[in-house]
Amino acid sequence: MTAPVRAWGRVLERRKAAADTFWIEVDCPSIAEHARPGQFVMLGTGLSDVAAPFLPRPFSIGAREADGRLGFLVRVFGAGTRRLSAVAPGDDLLMLGPLGQPFSLPAERSIVCLAGGVGLAPFLFVGAEARSDGREVRIVYGERTGDRVFDPELIRRITGVEPDLRTEDGSLGRRGLVIDDLDLDDRPQLLACGPDPMLRACNDLALRHDLPLQVSVEEHMGCGVGTCQGCVVLSAEGEWIKSCTEGPVFDARELAWI
Amino acid sequence: MDLSQRLLGATFQSPVLLASGTCGYGEEYASLIPLDEIGGLVTKAVSLEPRPGNPPHRVAETPGGMINAIGLQNVGLERFRSEKLPWLRENLRSASVLINVVGHSAEDYEAVVSGLDSDDGFLGYEINVSCPNVKDGTLFGTDEQALSALVNGLRALTERPLVVKLTPNVPDIGVYARICEEAGADGLSAINTFPGMLIDVEGRRPVIGNVSGGVSGPAILPMGVYLTWRAAAVVSIPVIGIGGIRSGSDALQYILAGASLVQVGTALFVDPSAPVQVQAGIAEYMERHDVARVADLVGALTIPGRD
Repeated sequence: MTAPVRAWGRVLERRKAAADTFWIEVDCPSIAEHARPGQFVMLGTGLSDVAAPFLPRPFSIGAREADGRLGFLVRVFGAGTRRLSAVAPGDDLLMLGPLGQPFSLPAERSIVCLAGGVGLAPFLFVGAEARSDGREVRIVYGERTGDRVFDPELIRRITGVEPDLRTEDGSLGRRGLVIDDLDLDDRPQLLACGPDPMLRACNDLALRHDLPLQVSVEEHMGCGVGTCQGCVVLSAEGEWIKSCTEGPVFDARELAWI
Repeated sequence: MDLSQRLLGATFQSPVLLASGTCGYGEEYASLIPLDEIGGLVTKAVSLEPRPGNPPHRVAETPGGMINAIGLQNVGLERFRSEKLPWLRENLRSASVLINVVGHSAEDYEAVVSGLDSDDGFLGYEINVSCPNVKDGTLFGTDEQALSALVNGLRALTERPLVVKLTPNVPDIGVYARICEEAGADGLSAINTFPGMLIDVEGRRPVIGNVSGGVSGPAILPMGVYLTWRAAAVVSIPVIGIGGIRSGSDALQYILAGASLVQVGTALFVDPSAPVQVQAGIAEYMERHDVARVADLVGALTIPGRD
């Protein structure tokens, strides 16, 4: 893993991609250069922006372009994401990255990404990379309601993959959850990112079918680089381990599923 | 223009240090902060035995800062000596290192200091007294007798600089500052975090896994400046100012209030270049005000009508 870089990135594009959800592209070649799918960036507005929420926030890298652009999926949950979602082209964001462990994609298996809500973000990058390597990759993407579904046309444009959409209210795509009615006959590598109950269900699914699963977890984060030890998750051995440096991607067997 | 400060038997090349708990053991920030260009760093707390730490959430945003309840998760004395101290020894040349020490009993603290004292690679100790004493559950830093006995005991064990990090959670910090000085402390750090709590109203539960935590960041700057001023006024040992510093001007408030050094902590999380920016801000101020040495600014506050 290369050492993280601190850099200001210029916002190039901000487009609304669903209710309260934005796709933001930032020019940041020094971070883009080494970024790998599953890694994240701390995004903030810097110390002099006294009106903004204080801490930066971690975001999975959603896209990396050859020209040094990075793409991020930003959904408004609270004050921090509201501030970041309000940036305009020409604004600068303070960025720290790339951070954390990426997904590891075994060559011998196809890849099935199980994405819940903003958990879609890392799989945009995974999908694009896997496609460009000629890998078979599926993106199964669920939201509670259709209005929250990230623009499927944008998913296709970023990844080249036709997403398999699921909504709980059935208003878009298939009614149901990302774990419902999956064709796992080719014994794929499962990757999952989303809310905790969804990750637990994905872990159960992987155990039931004896399939390998990597999960990208989310926990409140302070520093992003392993010093504050704020972002811990419980390991299978019963120890608190840092999601920023030891994760955010873990083999599901490394974690305690309580 | 001279940013250096002579105190604690050493020369700090700048008055800006990194605060304990925010910079790990230095290595984590090595690619992001030019550690050898700042005054120094205070390590994450070291306890006698490894500590597992608290359940999540451990951190959360608060207005103008953050709350944390990490639970002093650390690798313990022996692994600190074998895994962390060598990196500091080998990689820091001109920055000074203070090792932050915690314990549940006076014996714990004494064992850590005794265990480290003959090692190379650090200047001295910062004693974290914002910890409950297993004997009666009160914090060392809020119990006059326990604090005095603790510092006295540690003083007998080491010739190295002994800095006590004061808790703000007392009615008069001056009383505790004097107790530390009389017991043989070489310096004081003012202040540790303020106790606080956040509630998730939708879930009707505490946000922080440990229920309460310590509040840091710009929100506590005025309290830190005040308590630094109070402490510095009643002791003749140097005071290190801590709390919400993110700019040269913030640091200068502490210095004018009487701090000989400052520590930058939570601001690192917003921008790892914060300590360098703080240092540059102090230098810019000195140039603008034609101040030759940082020492000339320490305690240089004037109070109209009183001076």
